[in-house]
Amino acid sequence: MVELPSGQAKAEPPLGVYFHVPFCASTCDFCAFYQTVPKGNAVARYLEGMEAEASLVEWGARRATTAFWGGGTPGLLQPAQLLRLGAVMLARDGGRPDEWTVELAPATVSPNRIAVLRELGVTRVSMGVQSFQPALLEALGRRHTPAQIYRAYDLLRAADFPSVNLDLIFALPGQDEEAWRADLAEAVRLRPDHLSTYCLTFEEDTALWIKLSQGRVRLDVEKEAVFYERTWDYLEAAGYAQYEISNFARSGHICRHNLNTWRMEEWIGLGPSAASQFGGWRGANPPDLSLWHEQIASGRRAQNDRVRLTPELLAADSIIFGLRMNAGVNVPALQACYPAAPWTEAVSCLRRLEDEGLLLLESGGQARLTKRGRLVADAVGVEMLEAFAATARDIP
Amino acid sequence: MDTTLTRNFCIIAHVDHGKTTLSDRLLEYTHTVSQREMTAQHLDAMDLERERGITIKMHPVAMVYRAADGKRYKLNLTDTPGHVDFSYEVSRSLAACEGALLLIDAAQGVEAQTVANAHLAFAQGLKIIPVINKIDLPSANLELCMRQLEDILTIPAEEAILASGKSGIGIAEILEAVVKRIPPPRWTDYPATRVLVFDSKYDSYRGVISYARVFSGTIKAGDMIMLMSSGQKSEVKEVGAFHPAMAKGKELGPGDVGYIVINIKSTEDIKIGDTITHANRPAKEMLPGYKDVHPMVFCGLYPLEASDYEKLKVALGKLRLNDSALVYQAETSVALGFGFRCGFLGLLHMEIVQERIRREYGIEIISTYPSVVYRVKQHGAASVEVDNPVNMPDPATIEEIQEPTIRASIHIPNTYLGDMLNLVMEKRGVCEHTDTLDATRVMLTCLLPLNEILVDFNDRLKSITRGYGSMDYELGDYRASDLVKMDILVNGDPVDAFASIVHRSKAETQGRALCEKLAEIIPPQMFKIAVQAAIGAKVIARDNVREMRKDVTAKCYGGDITRKRKLLDKQKEGKKKMKQIGRVSIPPDAFIQVLKTNH
Repeated sequence: MVELPSGQAKAEPPLGVYFHVPFCASTCDFCAFYQTVPKGNAVARYLEGMEAEASLVEWGARRATTAFWGGGTPGLLQPAQLLRLGAVMLARDGGRPDEWTVELAPATVSPNRIAVLRELGVTRVSMGVQSFQPALLEALGRRHTPAQIYRAYDLLRAADFPSVNLDLIFALPGQDEEAWRADLAEAVRLRPDHLSTYCLTFEEDTALWIKLSQGRVRLDVEKEAVFYERTWDYLEAAGYAQYEISNFARSGHICRHNLNTWRMEEWIGLGPSAASQFGGWRGANPPDLSLWHEQIASGRRAQNDRVRLTPELLAADSIIFGLRMNAGVNVPALQACYPAAPWTEAVSCLRRLEDEGLLLLESGGQARLTKRGRLVADAVGVEMLEAFAATARDIP
Repeated sequence: MDTTLTRNFCIIAHVDHGKTTLSDRLLEYTHTVSQREMTAQHLDAMDLERERGITIKMHPVAMVYRAADGKRYKLNLTDTPGHVDFSYEVSRSLAACEGALLLIDAAQGVEAQTVANAHLAFAQGLKIIPVINKIDLPSANLELCMRQLEDILTIPAEEAILASGKSGIGIAEILEAVVKRIPPPRWTDYPATRVLVFDSKYDSYRGVISYARVFSGTIKAGDMIMLMSSGQKSEVKEVGAFHPAMAKGKELGPGDVGYIVINIKSTEDIKIGDTITHANRPAKEMLPGYKDVHPMVFCGLYPLEASDYEKLKVALGKLRLNDSALVYQAETSVALGFGFRCGFLGLLHMEIVQERIRREYGIEIISTYPSVVYRVKQHGAASVEVDNPVNMPDPATIEEIQEPTIRASIHIPNTYLGDMLNLVMEKRGVCEHTDTLDATRVMLTCLLPLNEILVDFNDRLKSITRGYGSMDYELGDYRASDLVKMDILVNGDPVDAFASIVHRSKAETQGRALCEKLAEIIPPQMFKIAVQAAIGAKVIARDNVREMRKDVTAKCYGGDITRKRKLLDKQKEGKKKMKQIGRVSIPPDAFIQVLKTNH
């Protein structure tokens, strides 16, 4: 078990701020995130849009306790552009975020950019390594080489970022268990502070999805399950404690920004496709640069898939997304937080899952998934949704 | 009224032996239908019948024929359904005649149905005129056909007429034989009006139209008549003949075949085989042979789309208007939702109804395992009839279960005799005797439980004999048998659609096969789920549904939560559409797939 940073230690409630940087040099086969290859003055216009969107948010006196820049590839911005984006982040007074992550593709890690990020106060860099093996990188359509990974990693370490994460992908077509173990071993050898390992996901509208639907690659659930189990065991033994389905950290390096998301705290997302959960609403920006510009220009943001955050929704999502974490959720605490939610059914559903060996209900009311349960966390989520919906219908 | 110039006859044959083509030639030859009007195979009205080459519904037709003796004869041709499922209907349309043309395919020879139909015709006292058809086929074997006529049917070979419906050979000879060999109408001097109803159909404008044969007396519009089976009285609205289209007439007299429209609303009210008489001068005796027909085979029919339930209900209602042998009532199945328990005369009847629902009404349906009607004797209680395994009484109360049997006549090339006998044995049958048909063919007479031929018997027969075998059957009596109700349980809950009544000796094998198939088809479940076959409380076979190994999203951050939530909601809605067996969610088509692969 890992110690979890207590979100409520300070009186100040956590607030995450997410910037989506929608540019990539090219599109990876597996990527379903909104990104585009920058053309002309697209980046400059984007930065203007970010400034405009930030001014639309009713921040009140709130400070971003954590920040996260994702993409796309934030590293595709030039140092000056990064500075300008940083200014948007720091314009809210109250000081720098306690944790500030920036995603960087290995090919974009340069001394100049690193210097700028350090200067801004970025505390954490997450690098999309994916694999250390040229053939697999090629298969994924990634544009970097293993040599670039090592060079980038050395630069980051030399710059003394407090936390460095590496992303890896597994269950790739053509990747056997041995190849995956080699990637894991190589990652561990580099001693990053944090590791995220993602089972390859076939998302609609990706090049990989097309290959899948054309039968050029095959889905193998059993292989995926085995890779998951091996990964968890391997990293645990290597000193990386799992704290979420795909996330592992050495002591003190859990990503708090993401933790707050899973705990259904608040966050504000800026940029195309960015989602927000703030001020009683959840919603996202359009996943399209020009539509986003249009919306911002007309003074609107986070209008897509907009839902009001009801106690029922937050209670259900706290459990569904909370159970993805190894620590699980504390049922009595949630009950106290959202007393109006239908708890009787929810608890009996948890007990059923416990009977089936998918979940542990501890005496303090902490509910956590077992290994088997974690492997079917989505099905568990559907089960919980049904439990919440069943009683919701009974309440007139 | 002079009936000496009237002849009533029908054509009986095995499927595909050319009955319809020959009928068409007779209509052409007698100028009843001009060649121009002639769509190929005039008498078969329904597409399905045409496709299968079998007539299900009879359509009589009146012809006028100037015979060699210079007289004009009125010939009434009654078409007959060709299948044993409809043997009662066949027997009624045979009863409307004095003679029958027995058609034999010159290349195929005597087949199972030829024999069955010939026996039915003999039983009705009909004069049989053997016609060897398709003699112009290169593979025609006249000598064999002649010998079979004598050996199997005990009909003198010299009576056979050689013909080809397709080329028009022998048509004149047939018509002459009809006039000369078939006697004029019988029972015309009975002292009261008696009219045989041999079919009814529903017409949305005119109501119920009954096909009828007058034996004695006359019947006309305005007459008050009585249906002798029920005593129900009603008024005749219209009478007429078929030329071959319906043509209104003044009256029908002795020996006439035609139609009668009576003031009743439903074909259920006028039963096939019933006798119509005048209400104020009723006959004392009904015409012989009337029977109440009961469905022999039952199954559940369910719409694939639950929303099609109403459409299915309407379709069954409409089909029943023309098919009073079809019975149905609403039922609910845990596995399949809302549907109907339907009763049929036999397997073909069941298939035809299902096919018509699919084609004519465009409704996708699934049927449960067919079941026969069992007689269950209970200790200290009257015996009950059970047509749905779900309704089987508690085994502890059962003294004895009886099942219907059939007497099957199976024609096969003798090289397959051994395999065929094995199949009969596997199906709990006994072979009573074997008769040699010719140098290469034998006929087996077997007693089999009806239950055993419901599912794959005919397919197996065809496969064993490479398509050369044929079978016909008549219903036998009920016999006591060691039968048990087998339940299929998913996670301990019985799945009604899979309950069946099986012979104890077969329960385990069938139970195991079903469990395996279900376990394979049910998608992996998060919970451990057993599929079991059980007799009462005793589990006789079991299998496990595959466990869900992995169902988890790898990346789930702030930006993914809405999308993820939507996906889970969608899955939740998807589960609502699934069938809930206890806590197990099973896609509706899983059951359907199992039912399909087992049929």
